Amino acid sequence: MAVSGCGTSTNSGSGTETKEITVWLMDGSAPTTLTDALNKEFETANGIKVKYEVQKWTGIQEKLTTALASSTPPDVIELGNTQTASFADQGTLADLTADAGQFNGGEWLGGLKDSLTLNGKQYGVPFYAANRTVIYRTDLLQAAGVAKPPTSRAEWLDAINKLKAANASNPEFQALYLPGQSWYFLLSLIWDEGGDIAKQDGGKWTGTLDTPQAKAGFEAYKALYDASAAKKVPADIDEAKPQQMEVFGTGNVGMMVGLPWELAGAVKAKPDLKDKTAAFPIPSKKAGSAAPVFLGGSNLAIPAASKNSDAAKKYLALLSSKKYQDMLAEGGAVPGTSKDTSKLASNAIGKAMADSSPNGKVTPVTPKWAAVEAGQNPLKDALTAYLTGAKTLDQATKDASEAITKAMA
Amino acid sequence: MTAVKTTEAAAPAGDLPPALPPAVTGGAPGRRRAGAFDRALPYLLLAPALIAILWLIGWPVVSVFVTSFRQLNLGELVRGEIVWTGLDNYVTVLRDERFWTVSLRTVVFTVAVVGASVGMGLLIALLMRVLTPWVRIALQIAMLCAWAMPILASTTVYQWMFDQNYGILNKTLVQLGFDSFAGYSWFSSGTSTLSVVGLLIVWQAIPFLAFSLYAGLVGIPRDLYEAAGIDGATGWQTFRAVTWPEIRSLLMMVTFLSTLWDFKVFAQIWVFREGGPSGESTTLPVLQYLEGIAKSHFGVAAAISVLMMVILGLITFQYLRKLLQTEEGKI
Repeated sequence: MAVSGCGTSTNSGSGTETKEITVWLMDGSAPTTLTDALNKEFETANGIKVKYEVQKWTGIQEKLTTALASSTPPDVIELGNTQTASFADQGTLADLTADAGQFNGGEWLGGLKDSLTLNGKQYGVPFYAANRTVIYRTDLLQAAGVAKPPTSRAEWLDAINKLKAANASNPEFQALYLPGQSWYFLLSLIWDEGGDIAKQDGGKWTGTLDTPQAKAGFEAYKALYDASAAKKVPADIDEAKPQQMEVFGTGNVGMMVGLPWELAGAVKAKPDLKDKTAAFPIPSKKAGSAAPVFLGGSNLAIPAASKNSDAAKKYLALLSSKKYQDMLAEGGAVPGTSKDTSKLASNAIGKAMADSSPNGKVTPVTPKWAAVEAGQNPLKDALTAYLTGAKTLDQATKDASEAITKAMA
Repeated sequence: MTAVKTTEAAAPAGDLPPALPPAVTGGAPGRRRAGAFDRALPYLLLAPALIAILWLIGWPVVSVFVTSFRQLNLGELVRGEIVWTGLDNYVTVLRDERFWTVSLRTVVFTVAVVGASVGMGLLIALLMRVLTPWVRIALQIAMLCAWAMPILASTTVYQWMFDQNYGILNKTLVQLGFDSFAGYSWFSSGTSTLSVVGLLIVWQAIPFLAFSLYAGLVGIPRDLYEAAGIDGATGWQTFRAVTWPEIRSLLMMVTFLSTLWDFKVFAQIWVFREGGPSGESTTLPVLQYLEGIAKSHFGVAAAISVLMMVILGLITFQYLRKLLQTEEGKI
């Protein structure tokens, strides 16, 4: 009876009652060295057990929906940054605005802070971010006569062509592995040209893929796609199907636009790649600078129905301390609550990522965005239709803009 | 009014009983009570099972129907709120021109797939009747293997076969001299994508159909065929006059079942191209998934479910009518 009595006092989170908190983090997010140390420190300091569970990304939307709808949700959850607004809007996450101070609020990563802010309130704590860089084979670039990594889009195209020419004897060779639906990379090109996905006007979102700037981004994508290889990757697949790291691991690929964990996966399959790979930021069309990148990442949040919110806050406070943020950076991610990225810059990919992360942007922060990305993504459809010639650029971008306007209405 | 009613109701009750008892007390009441009990007994015994079945099967249906009149997004689900919106969900769905294109596409797709699979199933069943036992057993084993293959496994194999760069189909076609199939994309349009998916579904459905129809064919007495042969009937005439009448009702039943199955196919379509390119291979079950799971609009998805049931009812109306008629005829 005492237990059920405690259960009704939602949100009171009386610290004395809490014996255990449930923490859900995602597969591949924080290194186990970090979580082991964190959970141990939290347990000894507070006398509260941590029930730590790792979740898979596949089907997480459904799983979170069910968990958040239950009366005993987990106490700490990790959410993709593009998912956060929609969960916050539905009233499923606790408002943490007043507690930002104990979570190192002054050093939050801008792009992630935006993604968890809705109507001026914060519904989470930034966890980590990662952005795409161009991962390349140092040995192959050298052999093709490309002395230093390209620093403009023109130089990049030039390097791709040289790489292609040098490996012409291999029919399977991809100078740049670029599937037709790599839409996060498309965002970089659109932003680099000065365009955007959608604009907000008086609370109403309108797709803006049919602007000249956004169209220029599509054209840049096509130029790279056409140059990428003699035998191009199909235009109707994305970077996850098949996993591009597996393709990179075959050794027939010169470059790919990817995340650090993707290189780690390729190295795991083919260990000798470790000493032959490096990365450079996605080059801008303007020589010498990096193109804006999509800031992928995660936020941590406390479900509104959590009965142990005080303990959960303590857990988040510990995680946002510099010690653990440095461990995140060491693991190859941009830390969410610390501006210090020196640990990250110690390896080649980390440096390229740190160089471009200040330029990080996110998809429109609105609860409506989830509907665009989940299910049939108009950006992917537009890319496929344009690259295969099924639609003209004008038609493809117009249709995609309308689809986005409709999905976000 | 109420006062009048009560007196009216009370009057016969007061009048009649005194007249009846003498006739009834003759020893009959015990038997009458036992008779009512005897008649009720089977129903009482069946009741627990019947209630359990109705609960298991009926409740989800009722729940979908009720949900279709609610606004049920993630927020309402989490907060446990009940918001009635009347017919709003239906208006949203029916006003969306996409729903009509998708419905039409689903119906055409179902008809084509059911027609092809039942037709092929029947041909194979007829073939099995004339094959020598060894060949027939080999064919049956092959079909059992195809049938036993999990849906997602066979879908994956089909994806590989139709792969643009490395698929065995394109490679074979190029070897045969059709050079234009080098790097040909089988999934560049909705029609083409649905054709491939349809082929897969037909392939998966044939074993069941062929086995069922073969079972029906085996039941036809051999002497009927001998008699037809003596009368000098051709193969087609024999089929029309002997085989067809015997398997017609069975054929109707498997067609009905196939229609139910193929109308709500989701996994294969979703796995191939998630209803793409540009939503051109989206069918009603995919649309329902997009609304319900991807956008968390459970009320709208429920409305689509109810509309799907209506469409399915319309397609199978003739069969359902015949089914009910024969039932009545038997009673």
